[in-house]
Amino acid sequence: MSRVLATYNVKGGVGKTSAAVNLAYLAARDRSSTLLWDLDPQGASTYLFRVKPKVRGGARKLVRLKTEVDDVIKGTDYEQLDLLPADFSYRHMDLALDSTKRPTSRLSKVIAPLRDEYEWIFLDCPPSISLVSESVFDAADALLVPIIPATLSSRTFEQLSKLVQGGPQVLAFFSMVDRRKKLHREVMEQLRGDSAGVLESTIPTSADVERMGVQRSAIAEFAPRSRAALAYQALWEEVQGRLNG
Amino acid sequence: MSEFLLPDGISLEAAGEALRQRLELARGGVRETDCTFYDTFDGLLHAEDLVLVGEAGRLSLVQPGAGVERAGIAMDAPTRPLLALELDPGPLRDALLPIVEVRALLPIAHVRSRVRALDVLDDQRKTVVRIRLEEPALISSGGRLTGLGPRLTLGLVRGYDKALTEVQDTLVRELGFMLADRRLVEEAVAAAGGVPGGHSSKIDVPLSVSERADAATAAVLRALLRVMQLTIEGMIADTDSEFLHDFRVAVRRSRAVQRELKRVFPPAQLARFREQFRWLQAITGEARDLDVYVLEFDQYRAMLPESLRGELDPLLGVLSRRRRSAHRTMVRALRSERAARLYAEWSDFLQGLEAAPVQDRPDATRPIGALAGERIGKVYRRMLKQGGAIDDSSPPEHYHELRKQGKELRYLLELFGAPLYPAEIVKPMVKSLKSLQDVLGRHQDREVQVATLQSLGEEVSALPGGAGALMAMGVLIQRLGEDERAARAEFAQNFAAFSSELQRRLVKQTFK
Repeated sequence: MSRVLATYNVKGGVGKTSAAVNLAYLAARDRSSTLLWDLDPQGASTYLFRVKPKVRGGARKLVRLKTEVDDVIKGTDYEQLDLLPADFSYRHMDLALDSTKRPTSRLSKVIAPLRDEYEWIFLDCPPSISLVSESVFDAADALLVPIIPATLSSRTFEQLSKLVQGGPQVLAFFSMVDRRKKLHREVMEQLRGDSAGVLESTIPTSADVERMGVQRSAIAEFAPRSRAALAYQALWEEVQGRLNG
Repeated sequence: MSEFLLPDGISLEAAGEALRQRLELARGGVRETDCTFYDTFDGLLHAEDLVLVGEAGRLSLVQPGAGVERAGIAMDAPTRPLLALELDPGPLRDALLPIVEVRALLPIAHVRSRVRALDVLDDQRKTVVRIRLEEPALISSGGRLTGLGPRLTLGLVRGYDKALTEVQDTLVRELGFMLADRRLVEEAVAAAGGVPGGHSSKIDVPLSVSERADAATAAVLRALLRVMQLTIEGMIADTDSEFLHDFRVAVRRSRAVQRELKRVFPPAQLARFREQFRWLQAITGEARDLDVYVLEFDQYRAMLPESLRGELDPLLGVLSRRRRSAHRTMVRALRSERAARLYAEWSDFLQGLEAAPVQDRPDATRPIGALAGERIGKVYRRMLKQGGAIDDSSPPEHYHELRKQGKELRYLLELFGAPLYPAEIVKPMVKSLKSLQDVLGRHQDREVQVATLQSLGEEVSALPGGAGALMAMGVLIQRLGEDERAARAEFAQNFAAFSSELQRRLVKQTFK
């Protein structure tokens, strides 16, 4: 039975895709069969894996279970890592979900047939609060929430924790951290003091993260000894250790 | 199919170059790798077009035809026979268990390969097909290397089936590669002196109805002897419980043939061999019974309320100890001079049977079709009579007696009915007989299990935790008794199907 991890934040540009791609890569490198579902219509993780952002039948057929999910999965360049690609129609995923019965349990239903096959399923979510995110909360065992240590970030985290109460476990981590900035250090200290759901591992701002788009692969693949690669490794180990049950 | 042989006289490097001319390839280095292939003795994985491979610290179940891994775990290649149940819980165990069940996975060939991995890329420089070019060699037990045919294996990347077909076309049409008629694992096993696909304990001797009965009977018995001889090594090594089971089935089937077709044999010699076969069955009986107790132990636990399940541990300890001891006794007997002589003499006897004088063997020269049909009809009618007399109040021995006849009939149908008579008659008859036998078997097993548990009470109670175990055994005995009564209740229905008007008529018309 697989474990489902969703990288989620209401805000965009905080490192969700980067986390999803790098953590899924590390899971697969440990030889665990892993699937990443790129739910974001922009298709950034699909692009990083060099897969065409196309799902036959689009979002509507997929959430209505009219498409065999098995048939639209693509293998990546890494043997244990498969991708359920993004599709431009995902921008209307809300509408597609809304037209079904019990929309919030739909994404769970879509991945249900895959849960025996994959040990890890990552959901890379678009930034928003919507039916899509509610459906993600229902499907996920844990939310991995990247937070930029700036003002308001603690508010975001609080809101989210309240929102998913009784749902998935929330594991937040600081992303795009610049330790030279006093504000970053202060916010991190404060939020760690306030909340147990914040992980020790942090992901630094790094040119290597930005280079992923040029290299089109996980950081550990093209810069295995970089600070960013080691940071994702530490984050992955901590996440595994912190998961409930 | 995705294994190809390199065109004659082409080296790995030259093949790589030729591919590079036609396909967009990522650069891959050459490496040397050792791998071990595994399958059960009877080739259960091979029958599903699967193979278990231990390579580079990973044990994977691979579907060579599709070039994909079904499941795998990080684990060094086992050097001993491996039971699926002993694997860590996870996808590999889940994939293997329903296929191999209690059968051990044995190393069937060790191969060392020089491998060049090449990835075929698309216009986004994404891998869409994996190519493995390799020069394999079999590693014999002494470490000697025997070259096997160099080959190319295509690996499917999920969702890129079309690319795979295109590469296949290029290989065959433009580059002169040929589909390998045997997979690497098959070639390696054959080179190691084994049988690709393993050894089946199924008896499949083609017979013709007009054949002399003694010749046909000898052919069937020789096939059974072969099964016995093939299983001995696995029984002695205690590789898995099926070796002993298959051996005993072969012995029982041989004995059934000896009894049912007795007039094709010279009586004095037959009597001697029957005595010997009875001995074979006796020396293996206790070990098999205890195998079954241990194998079914989880079922016994499941019969108990949850709180009592753990209490049965001392019983399992006693059963396991007895099993080991029974096994040792059996091994001594199997290794004895008497056993060795038996196989040799029985084999010689069967070899010379057709040429032996026929005056004291009245059925020897009769056509096997008629003779086997007569016996099948006879045993069937005997069962009708015995079964018809059974009711709820009948003693257990009556059920047991009927079951013994059922086995006799089943063996006759499988060994002679199947090759000699129409499948549309034989198959449904075997099926209906099997359902009946299942009920009778359960009835008998429960009866015996209750008696065994009662006899073990004293020994178990003397152990630490013995009092709790004894109590749990009491509940278990009760449950087994209930199940025995349930089997009794099901008997009537199964017997009615087996003895239906239609079935009687079919038997009468077909087997005379």
